[in-house]
Amino acid sequence: MAAGRVRGTLTGTEWERLTQDDPFEGRAIEAVRSGNAGSYDYLVSKYSKRVVSIAWGIVRNAHDAEDLAQEAFVKAFQNIGRFKEGEPFGPWIYRIVTNLALDVVKHRSRFRHEELTDVEPAARRDSAELGALSGELAQRIDAALQSLPENQRVVARLYLVEQFDHAEIASMMNLSEGTVRSHLSLARKKLKEQLADLYEGSHD
Amino acid sequence: MTDDKFFERLREDARPLQYDGDDFLAARIAARVRERVTARPPTVAQLLAAWMRPVAASLAALVLSVTIGLTWSQQHQEPTPEPGISSNPIEVAMAGELYGVDD
Repeated sequence: MAAGRVRGTLTGTEWERLTQDDPFEGRAIEAVRSGNAGSYDYLVSKYSKRVVSIAWGIVRNAHDAEDLAQEAFVKAFQNIGRFKEGEPFGPWIYRIVTNLALDVVKHRSRFRHEELTDVEPAARRDSAELGALSGELAQRIDAALQSLPENQRVVARLYLVEQFDHAEIASMMNLSEGTVRSHLSLARKKLKEQLADLYEGSHD
Repeated sequence: MTDDKFFERLREDARPLQYDGDDFLAARIAARVRERVTARPPTVAQLLAAWMRPVAASLAALVLSVTIGLTWSQQHQEPTPEPGISSNPIEVAMAGELYGVDD
């Protein structure tokens, strides 16, 4: 895996605003709904990196994340008739890939014993894939996130790493905003305990 | 540092954890998705062919095995002995009476 780059500047909300301002997206969706499958390329190219990033944050495996992204796009294509006209494509595909990735994690947890005994420890596998991380700070944050219980971990990653807001996360995970806030509150407490040394001495 | 401030700072610092993959990630996924969504559905003829192919293969195998079996059995069949005298007793008719000649 090549070293990742800092995506830079767009938060989840900014990304959606950009999407809504994109006239090509609406045209591409209309074309796909009219049977022009070739127009789907535009949507896939536009969203694939972010979709893979969301999947990777949940399943923590590059190969699985790409497969999930592919499945999510195919599923969205097959159900494009149900897509509400005028809405941005992003939240829809993010919701699909999040649910697919959560299914994979649930499936894995059922076979956790076999996985840990049959192959190399998950922690070592993960660290081998952390080419996307830059520096000690990012690695500490990543390790702290990984130590959280599953729901808190996924919600915290979507909020902190993928930069989605509460409402977007609630929609993606089929949760209420209150539940998302509750998970984030618990995650924040645990993360602060683990990362206190990184931020101590900082002033407001 | 307050909890809110801590989380705000953490959110800024966590952004680099986004996975970006390699330079060919988007192209690779686009190609795979394109391949799947543009695949044409099979025609009726293709569906029938797909269904008939194993049936035809099974029938062909059956016919072949029967043919081989018959050929083999014909080639290895023991020759039947020529009918001998014992099986065809000689009968002589004399003065209206029928007499048999045994061994």
